[in-house]
Amino acid sequence: MIRLNRRRLLQGAGATALGAAAASFPAPSLIRSAQAADIVKLGCLFSSSGAMANVEGRLTTVVRMAAEELNARGGVLGRTVEVVGTDPASDWPLYAQLGRQLIQQDQVAALFGCWTSVSRKSVLPVVEQEDALLYYPLHFEGEENSPNVVYLNSPPSSSVLPAVEYLMGPDGGEAKRFFMLGSDYVWPRTINQQLKGYWASQGIEADAWREEYVPVGHSNFQTLVNQIREFADQPGGQPVVILTVVGNSIPDFFREFANQGISALDVPVLGLDALEADFEGLDTASLAGHLNCWAYLQTAEGPRNQEFLKSWADYVAASGSPYRGDVAIDPMVSVYDGVHLWALAAEAAGSFDVPEVRAASPSVSFACPSGYDIAMMPDSTYVKRGVFIGSLNETQGFDVLWQSEDTPDPLPFSPYMKS
Amino acid sequence: MRIAWLLIFVASLAATPALADRPTLLASLCAPVLAEQIEAISAIAQAGATGGYEEARWAQTVIAAVEGRSLRCSPVGVYIGEGEDALEAIDLAAAETPAGASALPVNNRLRATAASAAAVLSLFSETDPTARGKAATTLERRREALSLPILDAALAAEEDATVATTLDALRTRMMLDDPDAGKRIRAVEAISAVGSLRNRTLIAEALTVETDPLVIESGEAAIKEIDRELAVGRALSTLYSGLSYASVLLLAALGLAIIFGLMGVINLAQGEFIMIGAYAAWFVQNAIRVAAPGLLEWYLIIAMPVSFLAAAIVGIAMEALVLRRLYDRPLMTLLATWAVSLLLINLVRVTIGTQNLEFYQPFYVTGGIPIMGDFIITLNRLFAIAIAIAAFIGVVALLRFSTFGMNVRAVAQNRAMASAAGIDARRTDRLAIALGSGLAGLAGVALAPLYNVNPNMGAGFIVDSFMVVVLGGVGSLLGTVVASFGIGQINVMIEPIYGAVTAKVVVLLLVIAFIQRRPEGLFAQKGRR
Repeated sequence: MIRLNRRRLLQGAGATALGAAAASFPAPSLIRSAQAADIVKLGCLFSSSGAMANVEGRLTTVVRMAAEELNARGGVLGRTVEVVGTDPASDWPLYAQLGRQLIQQDQVAALFGCWTSVSRKSVLPVVEQEDALLYYPLHFEGEENSPNVVYLNSPPSSSVLPAVEYLMGPDGGEAKRFFMLGSDYVWPRTINQQLKGYWASQGIEADAWREEYVPVGHSNFQTLVNQIREFADQPGGQPVVILTVVGNSIPDFFREFANQGISALDVPVLGLDALEADFEGLDTASLAGHLNCWAYLQTAEGPRNQEFLKSWADYVAASGSPYRGDVAIDPMVSVYDGVHLWALAAEAAGSFDVPEVRAASPSVSFACPSGYDIAMMPDSTYVKRGVFIGSLNETQGFDVLWQSEDTPDPLPFSPYMKS
Repeated sequence: MRIAWLLIFVASLAATPALADRPTLLASLCAPVLAEQIEAISAIAQAGATGGYEEARWAQTVIAAVEGRSLRCSPVGVYIGEGEDALEAIDLAAAETPAGASALPVNNRLRATAASAAAVLSLFSETDPTARGKAATTLERRREALSLPILDAALAAEEDATVATTLDALRTRMMLDDPDAGKRIRAVEAISAVGSLRNRTLIAEALTVETDPLVIESGEAAIKEIDRELAVGRALSTLYSGLSYASVLLLAALGLAIIFGLMGVINLAQGEFIMIGAYAAWFVQNAIRVAAPGLLEWYLIIAMPVSFLAAAIVGIAMEALVLRRLYDRPLMTLLATWAVSLLLINLVRVTIGTQNLEFYQPFYVTGGIPIMGDFIITLNRLFAIAIAIAAFIGVVALLRFSTFGMNVRAVAQNRAMASAAGIDARRTDRLAIALGSGLAGLAGVALAPLYNVNPNMGAGFIVDSFMVVVLGGVGSLLGTVVASFGIGQINVMIEPIYGAVTAKVVVLLLVIAFIQRRPEGLFAQKGRR
């Protein structure tokens, strides 16, 4: 009960901009002096206000849930795991500032955080300087391999490319022309550059694709959907949309897409950041058939997934979190995997020191709710994950349309990246 | 000619066995080869279309199972549905699906074929002509399972004149690769009746392999005609996009034009009033769902007064508790209203949650009406435009013709003088703020079908609203309209050429340049402030 109240309080305080910076230090300093010996802390950098709040906020709750699981079986190396939450308010520099604070003041053993690549890039110098560990739960553009970041999700080589190959294959509709629409920042631009390199290597001419960007948080997609319609009706073969807009732009885009009467059967959209949670407010009957690709889908088969879904629903009900207990998204599972992978590595190392945890990381593997056993690569800090392609159904969920046999090796640096 | 063709067809029908080879068809449906699956679906549709009542019922059930992803394949047979209520796909007998059965994965091509097959089957089985007409329109777009013999059989059986015309037109359009040049010309003409880019592509692609000069001539004429229509459609579409963007800006800024423009209060909580309006609409929706489900279709209309009142009450409360003490300290109101905005956001977040709210979309805000070329009027935006115009007219009338409006204008022009003349300035302040916040609440209803409704939604509107009000000239409602229309149009004209990011930058630069040259805005308010 006490924990619940403090969490609520922290969320409230964290959300007000004045209190955002103060959010991480009230109670913990007292506890540290009293019982520092039997507590180990994990820090969270997920926004509960601003543009990313709708999807990012729930990840802190997942970390708390995973920590509770660890504590229920006696903690890690005999210590109780405590989670310190913050609210970087979707303000990229604030991620770095709060990250430093978590490392220096709260002395957390590991950081879990960031959704957008720009926030990760902002924290990166901090974790490298302090030699800390950041567990990053999103699939992203790759082209980075820092020993201080554990990349829990896939780079394009093992997520986007398999999905685009599927779309270009007979089952996916033999896509010939591509409309890339993204939010204007590093992740969409890098992904699109790699895709262009890939298509060029397949002998596809440059007039078969178009590339458009909108500001982050853009909501009026009228003219862009008009352009997509025009692009789709031109000759040259099956068109698809590769959508890399993020956050609340995703539902706004799909609403306009459906209202202009475009069916997924004519122009499928591969929403690289599209999640079950993005469709919570939409009627998806007219959107059925659009695609996404992730390392986990809620409809993944197997008892592990059932177990995970049940504990999430129970946790939401018990803690009174403002999130839906019946919706589970890939980054939630990734961050959940991250907490467990960290705990396994710390136990294998017998220490919470970053270099030792890192050294022990490749030797442990975790049974991910997606059904794959996942582990970190021996030669990079990327975690090997399975690949799912999902197809949006009428009840705002994604059905598994295709999934990989195994966990493909992630390639941190894409061969299709031209400078 | 036609009759002869039909006779041949009927004869060929009599020759083929009417009943489908169900086991083989189902086996190919479950085969993991897409081409075979597509062929099987088309064959099932054909069997259902020509095999009599029983066969049609079977075909419809199987196709619906494919569309609904409820088909289960197993080595011992094919089933529809899960568990004990399942059906055996071969004869639709009740059966229990075995444990090892796997769901048939349905990709978009399979889904498209199934949708086409379902439309074919409804052509033959629906008794309602409207449903058949709808199926015919679907087939226009989805011809995967349609073949000329099937279409001719449907035409022969069709009794309703309208549906028959649709089908006949569809048949003419399918003649684009007919050996007869006359038929090809008729096909080109029929296709160009609807001047869309898709049809232009269709004709242009046919012309690349065309050799007959007459057909080429008629094709080129058709393309020219379509191009004309497309150009008009494009212009209309830009105009409409600009208008709809302008209506959003106007809705968001109208309340602010009164609170900031007339009362001089820098209200940073204006965006949150919009959010409160949208949330009130959501509560109305849920209340109607429980109390009077029959009225659900009209909840957006019913919600308008409720949202107006809800936001107005919050506005009055803010005035009474916070603003009243700060009227002569505008910078303080800025901070205080910002605090109120954060308070409201977090209050909603803690009590209702951060997720986007789900709104039922009534028919008048769903989909769009194709007008000309590729120009579609999307209804949700039309709804916002209508409310924006109505709200603007209402506000102008209120300020111009009512005593309250006269008082507001008097207080705005010279507070001391107005008080001296016997106007209760305090009461006028309170009512004006109630009106301003109520309008924001109304905007919330109008924007709910357009935007995500969540606690943070207001933040997206506040900057734009201030920009519009300041650009239009503080205190001028007409200026607010002109400014929102101008910003909206400039935005949509730049967007397709230079992209959305540049459009935003250019608009902001233009606004800065304009404000520097003319700090009082487009329409300067005369009088002492």
